[in-house]
Amino acid sequence: MAKGQRKFLDIMKKRPLILDGATGTELQKRGMPAGVCPELWCIDNPSVIASVHGDYARAGCDVVYTCTFGANRFKLGQYGEPDARSVNRRLALIAREALRGKALIAGDIGPMGHFIQPFGELDFEEAVAAFKEQVLGLLEGGVDCFVIETMMDIQEARAALIAVKETCDLFTMVTMTFERDGRTLNGTDPLTALTTLQALGADAVGCNCSTGPDDMVRFIEAMKPYAKIPLIAKPNAGLPKTVGDSTVYDMDAAEFASRAGALIAAGAAILGGCCGTTPGHLAALKKTVARKKPASPLRKSLAALSSARKTLLFEPGRPLAVIGESINPTGRKALQEELREGKTALARQMARDQEMAGAALLDVNVGVPGIDQEKAMQEIVLALSVATELPLVIDSAKAEPIERALRVYPGRALINSISGEREKLRKLLPVAAKYGAMFILLPLTDKGIPETAEKRAVVVRAIEREARKHGFTRDDFLVDGIVMTAASNPKAPQETIRTVRWATETFRARTVVGLSNVSFGMPERKWINTSFLAMAAASGLTAAIANPASEELMFVKNASDVLGGRDRDAAAWIAHCAKAAGGGKKGAPIEALPPERKVREAILDGNREAVAGLVGETLKAGLDAAKLAQEIMIPAIVEVGERFGRKEYFLPQLIASGETMKIGMEALEPFLKGDLKVQRGTILIATVKGDIHDIGKNIVALMLRNHGFQVVDLGKDVAAERIVREIDRHRPQVVGLSALMTTTMTQMKEAIALARKQGEQCPFVVGGAVVTKAYAESIGAEYARDGVEAVSVIQRITGTRV
Amino acid sequence: MNRLITFERITIEPPLEAIYRRLGFRKGLTKIKPDETRALGEGIEKARSLITLKGAARRLPILSKDSRLIRLPDSHCLESTHLAKLLAGSQEVLLMGATAGAAVIEAIRRDTADDNLAQAVVLDAAASGMVDAALDWMEAFFAQDLRRESRRLTKSRFSCGYGDLALENQKLFYDLLDLGRFGVELTERYILAPEKSVTAVAGIETTG
Repeated sequence: MAKGQRKFLDIMKKRPLILDGATGTELQKRGMPAGVCPELWCIDNPSVIASVHGDYARAGCDVVYTCTFGANRFKLGQYGEPDARSVNRRLALIAREALRGKALIAGDIGPMGHFIQPFGELDFEEAVAAFKEQVLGLLEGGVDCFVIETMMDIQEARAALIAVKETCDLFTMVTMTFERDGRTLNGTDPLTALTTLQALGADAVGCNCSTGPDDMVRFIEAMKPYAKIPLIAKPNAGLPKTVGDSTVYDMDAAEFASRAGALIAAGAAILGGCCGTTPGHLAALKKTVARKKPASPLRKSLAALSSARKTLLFEPGRPLAVIGESINPTGRKALQEELREGKTALARQMARDQEMAGAALLDVNVGVPGIDQEKAMQEIVLALSVATELPLVIDSAKAEPIERALRVYPGRALINSISGEREKLRKLLPVAAKYGAMFILLPLTDKGIPETAEKRAVVVRAIEREARKHGFTRDDFLVDGIVMTAASNPKAPQETIRTVRWATETFRARTVVGLSNVSFGMPERKWINTSFLAMAAASGLTAAIANPASEELMFVKNASDVLGGRDRDAAAWIAHCAKAAGGGKKGAPIEALPPERKVREAILDGNREAVAGLVGETLKAGLDAAKLAQEIMIPAIVEVGERFGRKEYFLPQLIASGETMKIGMEALEPFLKGDLKVQRGTILIATVKGDIHDIGKNIVALMLRNHGFQVVDLGKDVAAERIVREIDRHRPQVVGLSALMTTTMTQMKEAIALARKQGEQCPFVVGGAVVTKAYAESIGAEYARDGVEAVSVIQRITGTRV
Repeated sequence: MNRLITFERITIEPPLEAIYRRLGFRKGLTKIKPDETRALGEGIEKARSLITLKGAARRLPILSKDSRLIRLPDSHCLESTHLAKLLAGSQEVLLMGATAGAAVIEAIRRDTADDNLAQAVVLDAAASGMVDAALDWMEAFFAQDLRRESRRLTKSRFSCGYGDLALENQKLFYDLLDLGRFGVELTERYILAPEKSVTAVAGIETTG
């Protein structure tokens, strides 16, 4: 138990613990000018901050924050103050002097204004060191506890919490700031924040600032079922509004206090106020909740892993989790090479592929002989933390790479593995406990792997006894069934299954197997693997380290979930089947329609897959090719353009229809006779020199081709000289030029001027984001707003309108 | 105050409404079938998997300004009557830059070459939408701190090439934001490459 925790818990047995309200807005009201450093201003004006502290204590707050929210080396440095530790000490002393025991003092730690690796440039250890300066100063000033608040980056919250926990054992609260969509600005949801921070040792977790109390109810509710520790709600006084030059909040004290009941019902045991709240708001809050007893945390332990953005719960009824096994250099030369070169691109790609294939977790192993595995593990874990949302499994035979990974990983990871070997237990259990990791319990000892399930059970219990000394429960590990090769010991798979069944049914723990070892040395391994998975799943298996790219394996896993009651309404099974069937393909057109109508419908629907076959079907039915083109297909694509003009179609539909038309015309072309093949004219198009944005030009090219024009597309970044040369070569009826930027737009003028100078009289049509009709006219060109209008303008110029 | 702040990974959801709007979708007018919606969703997801949003920002004090010229430290200045109007009440500027990275641009090029323009435009719109949303994200990041300083950002932001703020100013943004660190290049025509890279400036005002 953290030092001082008893005081907090005793209060929460009777009523919610009350934190203070806003400091910044109170200081402004009491004379702090805008734009100054609040911390330094308070040191120069101690009576003002002392009066704010005093007013909150008089309002009934149990805990008052020091005015040190921004007192870190980075923010103070911006105001020329180099000694963060001293600033923190002095401000804590001011609080202590002001409060004189009337309220507990929380050393306040806010964000540094820099994102930390892997989300920003700041080195994780530099961040921890900076926070430690604050922690040391606050301790010297005599704070009773710590609060890490207004965090939007889970990694920064972790760095601050590690700084506190490595310096002292005082009660420490952590509150994150969630946006209205229920995530922090950096994408962490409330449950994930809770999972990570309570595992790392926070004594209370919750949210502050964010929006108003109404939204905060949702965030607290999301945490409540999984919280082992008290939850904190410290909302703003409603939503900020700008009135004239000022920012005001829309809740007065009575209205703010009226929301407290909902927050307590949601699960909050610690309440306070953030921006816009005053001592009046907090007095009203205290009065409202004086007789309301908050609920105790629902959990003693939690089997869950997290990344920065996602939580994976190991709860009864949850699907079997596949742990992607690919990021392991054993037998993978390309990955070995990449790890030797210190690169991570292949590992990131493997992570994304496994995530897409349905993995729930990713195993990460960097065991290449001769490399610095600690460094490699840190780099790959940081890289994967942003490449995938899946929680990671840190897999190493050595303790050091595991420790390095756990320190920087912005979530709660799973260690693969901790065995009963003395050295492993001695080194890894304290590391796992410090960072709150879960672990795979591998039931082997220094004497080797026990052959039978009964002997493995003895080792499991022995390791558990050791783990309990470090605070672990059965929710904190998965028992490894230990998979041995069936080819070398036919009885081994049965012993694994018996171990899984014992661990599930008797020992009541979660289980895992490294699946593919069972089939080593066998032909057609996938069938052995999938059959073994089905057997293990039926015995209660929680997770399997396996290859999620195996179609057979993922079908069996999903089927096992349905049959094992772990896939409610078979929703995941249905989704898996739809995905495997490549859902989303357009269906065939209505059978009842005559074939030429089907061609028309295919063009209108953008049915690329069907159109060539339908053209063939129509010709087979006896319709003349020219008639099909002129009376069916061209009118259809014209109608597409009209629908686009009326905004009934948007760009993807316009282009899908255009591409369908192109495929249809290609299918028709061999059947068109002599003069019907004659094009409506040649159009030369280019994106001008210096400009690399050409998607609009590509759309124009597609549209023109579909309307019977021959298009010579010169590409992008095309110099005026080349445009003129190509005009001379192709003798186009019209030249189309595009540009997106103001600096490149002038190249259109140059190209036209050069063409005229060399005696070329062909008309020009120009377009692009910054191009206007007026500009086009000023350089002697026609203007087209988009692909459809370009076709229309060029048809007018060439006299080929349908 | 003027230290460069970089964001190695900005994690945001694709701004679907903005992406649909970029693709010409108009509520109440455009009709989309379920399979088209699904295909569009898959395209946007593909874009998301290809996009790595990175960003950089720097706060700089405004040393002086008039109706046309905004003077910044180290003899840097921005010349634009439109921007000067936006910054009329500002004491500082916030320069921002963001990039979607090269992978999505390569995918657009590949899809275009493979005659899959429909997919290319979706990737293009998604990348534009996401890089723009990255600037919104950076604004939200700074707004949090600014509120505690009794300051706020101007309601809108301005980019080089808009109004009378010449695109040539891109060089100043590029250098001050050190966008080269993200693999972004500035062409001789002041265009940022890869294509889905943007810069912007917003003002920082004192609230009452």
